[in-house]
Amino acid sequence: MATNGKKATAGHQVAWVFDLNKCIGCQTCSVACKVLWNEGDEGSEHMWWMTVNTQPGKGTPKDWESMGGGYSNGELQLGKLPTAEEFGGGWDYNYDEVLHGGKGRSVHLQKIAGSKTWGPNWDEDEGGGEWPNAYFFYLPRLCNHCTDASCLEACPVGALVKREEDGLVLRNEDVCEGNQLCAAACPYKKIYFNAPRGVSQQCIGCFPRIEKGVAPACVRQCPGRAAFVGFIDDETSLVHRLVNQWKVAVPLHPEYGTKPNVFYVPPLAPAPLNPDGSANENADRIPPQYLESLFGKDVHGALANLKAELAKKRRGEASEVMDALILYEWKDALGPFSKDPAELVWK
Amino acid sequence: MVTRAQTNGNGAWAERYRDKWKWDKVTWGSHSVDCYPGGCPYRVYVRDGKIMREEQSGSFDVVQAGVPDMNPMGCQKGACWGYQHYGPDRVTQPLKRVGERGEGKFEPVSWDVALKDIADAMLDAAVDQGPESIITLMTPEPGAAPSRAFMGVLGSPLTDGNAEFQDWSPGYYLTWGKFNPVSSMDDWFLAELTLIWHCNPVYTNIHWFHYVNESRYNGGEVITIAPDYSPSSIHSDHHVPVRIGTDAALALSMCKVVIDEGLYKKKFIQEQTDLPMLVRKDTGHFLRGNEVNAGDREDQFFWLDSKSRQVVPAPRGTLAMGDVDPALEGTYKARLVDGSEVEVQPVFERLRESLKDYDPEEAAKVCEVSADMIRMIARKAAVKRTKIFSGWNSGKYYHGDLMERSMALLLALTGNWGKQGTGTRSWAISGLDGLAFLTSKGKPGQDAAREFQRQTLAMRRLLSQEDPTMTMEMVLNRAQEMGAGRMAGFGGMIPPAFLWYHQFGYKERWNREDWSDPTMKRSFDEYYQEAMDKGWWDNHMAKVWKDVEPRVLVEAGGNVLRRHRGGQVMLLKHLWPKLKMIVSIDFRINTTGLHSDYILPAAQHYEKLGNSMPSVHHLNFVLIDKAVDPPGEAKSDRQIGHMLVKALEQRAQERGIKEIKNHAGQTIPLQGAYDRMTLNGFLKDDETEFDEAIKDTAAYGIIPEGNSLETLREKGHVRWTAWGIAGFGLAQASTIEPDKTHNPFRWHTEDKVPYPTLTRRAQFYIDHDWFIEGGEALPVHKENPHHGGNRAFRLTSGHPRWSIHSMNMTNNIILNTHRGEPFIFINPDEAARRGIENGEEVRLTSDAGSMLITTKLSASVRPGQIILYNGFEPYQHREWYAQGDVEPGMVKWLHLAAGYGHLKYRPWHWQPVPVDRGVGVDIEKLPATAKAG
Repeated sequence: MATNGKKATAGHQVAWVFDLNKCIGCQTCSVACKVLWNEGDEGSEHMWWMTVNTQPGKGTPKDWESMGGGYSNGELQLGKLPTAEEFGGGWDYNYDEVLHGGKGRSVHLQKIAGSKTWGPNWDEDEGGGEWPNAYFFYLPRLCNHCTDASCLEACPVGALVKREEDGLVLRNEDVCEGNQLCAAACPYKKIYFNAPRGVSQQCIGCFPRIEKGVAPACVRQCPGRAAFVGFIDDETSLVHRLVNQWKVAVPLHPEYGTKPNVFYVPPLAPAPLNPDGSANENADRIPPQYLESLFGKDVHGALANLKAELAKKRRGEASEVMDALILYEWKDALGPFSKDPAELVWK
Repeated sequence: MVTRAQTNGNGAWAERYRDKWKWDKVTWGSHSVDCYPGGCPYRVYVRDGKIMREEQSGSFDVVQAGVPDMNPMGCQKGACWGYQHYGPDRVTQPLKRVGERGEGKFEPVSWDVALKDIADAMLDAAVDQGPESIITLMTPEPGAAPSRAFMGVLGSPLTDGNAEFQDWSPGYYLTWGKFNPVSSMDDWFLAELTLIWHCNPVYTNIHWFHYVNESRYNGGEVITIAPDYSPSSIHSDHHVPVRIGTDAALALSMCKVVIDEGLYKKKFIQEQTDLPMLVRKDTGHFLRGNEVNAGDREDQFFWLDSKSRQVVPAPRGTLAMGDVDPALEGTYKARLVDGSEVEVQPVFERLRESLKDYDPEEAAKVCEVSADMIRMIARKAAVKRTKIFSGWNSGKYYHGDLMERSMALLLALTGNWGKQGTGTRSWAISGLDGLAFLTSKGKPGQDAAREFQRQTLAMRRLLSQEDPTMTMEMVLNRAQEMGAGRMAGFGGMIPPAFLWYHQFGYKERWNREDWSDPTMKRSFDEYYQEAMDKGWWDNHMAKVWKDVEPRVLVEAGGNVLRRHRGGQVMLLKHLWPKLKMIVSIDFRINTTGLHSDYILPAAQHYEKLGNSMPSVHHLNFVLIDKAVDPPGEAKSDRQIGHMLVKALEQRAQERGIKEIKNHAGQTIPLQGAYDRMTLNGFLKDDETEFDEAIKDTAAYGIIPEGNSLETLREKGHVRWTAWGIAGFGLAQASTIEPDKTHNPFRWHTEDKVPYPTLTRRAQFYIDHDWFIEGGEALPVHKENPHHGGNRAFRLTSGHPRWSIHSMNMTNNIILNTHRGEPFIFINPDEAARRGIENGEEVRLTSDAGSMLITTKLSASVRPGQIILYNGFEPYQHREWYAQGDVEPGMVKWLHLAAGYGHLKYRPWHWQPVPVDRGVGVDIEKLPATAKAG
């Protein structure tokens, strides 16, 4: 295997927590990311480093969960390299023809570039189950900035580094040769290829913002107040407490073996309906085995912890966990990165 | 916290990214759009004279301790608004049509050429048909309003926004005499039970839906009532899959449970509602003062005091009951002025009788919701601080008024308004006084503003001389009714239904029996004629349209060919041929622009000074600063407005037209408007005008004294301190407190101030003859009529996630966040039965028309339902026919009723408004050959 064999190491580690009970699939995080890093640059049309998809669903790239990568028994796995068609999107339209072509109704707005069959959020709000017990929820995804980043080990030219001070997995795009072994090794399939430039690209953890004490755009711009960021190795941080102390947030696909640093508060759902239309409060609308397939066995404990805390509030008792997730003061979600970017002055 | 001990982020690649996030200027910004609440404070970042990006400021303080702050209020449309400044549909020069209308052939011309041409067309129309023939449409972009200044010269009408875009709640209006009592968004945190009902806030209230989720984490419960497992259902404790259009039955059944189980709040309904008011058994009308005592008022109502067993007048000047214990039940005798006796019953007694049909087991068959579920929700609502999170879905049903009246009844019986964590919501603005009165005050300076305010209030007090029990809210309503009446011939707002009836081809449609409610006793035209004969709408130009043909159409910041329920066909076939001039004033080319004669280039939101929607949801004045100059020849809306006014005055002078006459017989001089609207030149530019408006707003007490454009440029937004007197703030009927969430109705519930309805109470019994005839004196359930045809599916809709109306629908970034083309949602089993695959293009047909669109399959969709979220541009569809083209655009006959208490027109209020929910449609697989296009 033509890799560099280098394992990722880091000191401090920035981590994200997304509360799926607050995520409303609005795409503000993904649009904020797109506008900030991937708008107007050649070869980045199809890139959405931050995506939000409806689960169950095929997501982006299409069927990414079946593509492989990560580690198996400590061994690096090179999975499938997703195609541009599988990522989908990258659309441009015949705006000029429709708006200025003088052709009237003989033409309409159509895609003239990108995939015809898939997009970054193609299966939005389709979900699973059967009427009336359909179910779905939203899953925001970005690079997991893994503790054991398989992309990093897979890169034969050592273009990927894991930063000591924040654990972000970054790519030296001037070294990257575009061989895409990283993308084959990434089990989350969050690495895009910039064909004209011949380099791979992925989420940079908004490192220029992190360096200035400003939270990543996906967190700071989340109107659902569903996103938290901080150092997971700081035991006073909210992200640490949600993940390690209160145990209400779990990683996505822990079995991929890369120790991701993005965690999720798993989704609750309305009680399903009995055949007579009454509510069945003892059953789950989202099949627990489906959640386990996404978040591993720990999801059951996390959901149980969450429900126990919710029950406290409903009994009129205090709950530190619920209060943290309520987020009375929004800036608490930003951890040490709560600086207002508008106050920065560039020399 | 961040150490730089060992930076691996060195090198040119890293610097490129760091450089990408650098700017040379930051301004405050927001979006002048009609979303709810709108007004998200943003920071706009500029580099090299171009908008680079924007980001929410996240700058709201906590208002009430223990309630989360409103940060970081925004959404994905706002997060790429700047991108649209440079979009492919941007207009930067005046464009004149050179091909056929709709062909899309334009050539750039100078402002002078465009303005002269338009001014001449307006003058021709005013001379030929009268100024009424120059139609301006109220549009959902408040920032575009200043471009309509020409109406002040010509006295031409503006169509009412609530009829244009239907964001109106007729049932709430019937109940409260106002449709817009709404709490601030942070108040939603305090609900113990939130019923998301006729709303999909996960799509439409992105900027503040977190409060619902947070109320749940705080121990509250959330239940979503929707025909489909809507995206808002997913964060609920229960989803109630109600059959389409049966919500009134569901609500009434809950009301029955609350009453039968003795869970209702007796004192609340005795005091706050008309439920104790006495109704005559023989006529079905309220017992009225002039029937009981000679010379007494017709609008004096009575209740039965349980202590004295006497029929006594219910006070008109207060809700306080004094020593009276009004009976809710029983049948009594009342002596009339002629000595005869009649049997009377409290409304509540009649309600109990009427609710007999709504036993949960019976309602379950109608609503397809289990009786268990109905009882469970009713019992919860009876003991919890309950909010109904409604939007403008219910009002868009044919019998949406009945649904809303039933929902309001549930809130009444459970005592759920007028305290924190309770109530419902609709559209509500205020805080407009500075801009609204800028030219009316006559002179520059804040002393002039204060003097104007004093005089206005003194004049309004005169209005209550005849009836001193009138509240300030009623006086303001009266002033607005009178203002609207006078202004109807002078640049005021009109209810457009009558224009549509005569000039847009709706006479035929609205008379179609098969699309109408089968409980109508007479034809639509018989009702229409009666309304005309009785002069109910005479003050609002209703009769003018028989004779006046529209000649000029101005659409500023809107897109009527996308928006109009009833479809393009009605407009293009009936209206367009009559028009000599169609003008689109916009920053983008939309479908309406493509069918216009001129497109005038307006500044985009970050290119002009403005303020966001002054929404009660957030109670803030939010500044939109000018971050960059408009490109090319684009101008601010204010500048366009002024240029057109000057052009009109100049052309009138050159053509020797001194004045025009309108159909009310008024003479309108054509000179002097420009001087008036600039306070004789004082308001010389956008900055001066906006600064003056902000200072006046402070002088009126809406924001703290000392505020100006300069201070707003520092802090971006400032919370209101009072309602002012111009907007609809008084309808909130609660004092704004600096450290509390806002919840409306407290003047009524705490201070016992009467409601602005006929009975001075929240009114559930409407004894207008037509309502009695139609069986709707009390809220009841009626089946959705077969408008659009008796077909396999019912089409439901809603505001989209992806766009504010159609403004963002063709933004390529947004397009990449969904299918990138128009789509409907359909249940997979329904699709499978028809051999239709996910993503396949199909034809959607109703009796009114058809359109082409692709499918998305989801088990969340109810069988028999098709969901089409609105906002797609017609030009995104093959053939350009869109949602409006399958919607018949019916209006409910009862909404022509007036001449009764609060059933009369004032801007934004009671009027016939088209409906579009639950339209009968079929879906048709396309023949193989048709798919190629």
